Amino acid sequence: MASIIRPALLRQTAMAAAAARPAMRSAFVRDAVRVSAFHASSRKNLLPPGPQVIQGTVNDPAPVPPTSPSHGSYHWTFDRLIAGSLIPLAVAPFAAGSLNPVMDATLCSLLVIHSHTGFQNILIDYVPTGRYPKARKSLMWALNGATVLVAIGLYEFETNDVGVTEAIKRVWKA
Amino acid sequence: MAALRSSSSRLLAAAAAARPAFKPQAVFARSMASVGDATVNANPKGASDSRMKSFQIYRWNPDAPTEKPRMQTYTLDLNKTGPMVLDALVRIKNEIDPTLTFRRSCREGICGSCAMNINGTNTLACLCRIPTETDKEMKIYPLPHTYVVKDLVPDLTQFYKQYKSIKPYLQRDTPAPDGKEYRQSKADRKKLDGLYECILCACCSTSCPSYWWNSEEYLGPAILLQSYRWLIDSRDERKSERKAALDNSMSLYRCHTILNCTRTCPKGLNPGLAIAEIKKEMAF
Repeated sequence: MASIIRPALLRQTAMAAAAARPAMRSAFVRDAVRVSAFHASSRKNLLPPGPQVIQGTVNDPAPVPPTSPSHGSYHWTFDRLIAGSLIPLAVAPFAAGSLNPVMDATLCSLLVIHSHTGFQNILIDYVPTGRYPKARKSLMWALNGATVLVAIGLYEFETNDVGVTEAIKRVWKA
Repeated sequence: MAALRSSSSRLLAAAAAARPAFKPQAVFARSMASVGDATVNANPKGASDSRMKSFQIYRWNPDAPTEKPRMQTYTLDLNKTGPMVLDALVRIKNEIDPTLTFRRSCREGICGSCAMNINGTNTLACLCRIPTETDKEMKIYPLPHTYVVKDLVPDLTQFYKQYKSIKPYLQRDTPAPDGKEYRQSKADRKKLDGLYECILCACCSTSCPSYWWNSEEYLGPAILLQSYRWLIDSRDERKSERKAALDNSMSLYRCHTILNCTRTCPKGLNPGLAIAEIKKEMAF
């Protein structure tokens, strides 16, 4: 991780050196410094990792987060149950060859929950609260909004149109 | 005791007196216990028979922090080098470049010091054979996504702090029934096989992408394997507390069953299975 920030440091020092004594150096030397600093580092430092953070002394244990089963074991079990039940729900209407609006509605709502928790997992993985607290919060709310929007859209599609299963059937045959 | 002390001081004095006599011989360069010379003498053909292999090794010096890390190439004759990567590293340090820095201790896969990334795989240098084809060069890096102290030495502070946080020791309130030792059935002991062998070399944790992104909070496969080792110990009485400590979104559930840990483990253990067992135990 440190190796990713080091180029940035190097570029900063090189730039500072170039800026500090402009009168003493010719334009060529200044350009050379800037160009070499550019080539010795990466421009791709999007979201660079911060410096190493060690909480407490090296002899203290790492802090243990507070227990919350709703974000831990219950959440995980709920996730697996939904993912597992989606398989028969997705296959059943095609295997049986008949359409049941209740089954269609169940499939839709489970799909929405499944994708919501899936996106939540992505945000927890890649937008850590410690480093980007504001981005995390805003992205979580954006996800909530998107989920509500999708749920409303699917409700409309189910009540006023043909429904998900029938739509897939038609697209398949088209 | 006094006699011992006086005799030892006499020995030291003798050694000090003898040192000037040895000095002219000490001018020769240090080499590896004359193994290399012996091979050369036994092989009069010499250079024509040598198998030169180059090793590219990651170098970064903390004394020059503005310098970029670089790959330095060393070339060794495999005929004069031991079979393992650690032998090559020791030989490079002894004979070519004494500034090369790496951790090593037991040279037999018991201490876990020499964990590094060799040809793209995290493994122990002492357990990894040098491939015999000489046309390909070998690449050696420190453990991936760690803060590097120097050259091949990673900073494992967070790893050890996390190990401490799972309380890796027997926790009991009731004394042993016979007042002597905590007994265990053979079946219960068998559950610890495949878990107690872990040497905490950090090969698995540093191969896990989830641990790369979230090493501040996610415990990582090595620590979770140890966690499971104490969870299923029949003698431990703090199972519920141990489970409660893992029951949050970060500590355990950042594992997405990538299974890099199981693939890379130089001891052939299965951290992925241990994590799956913890998840199963925690589910309702």
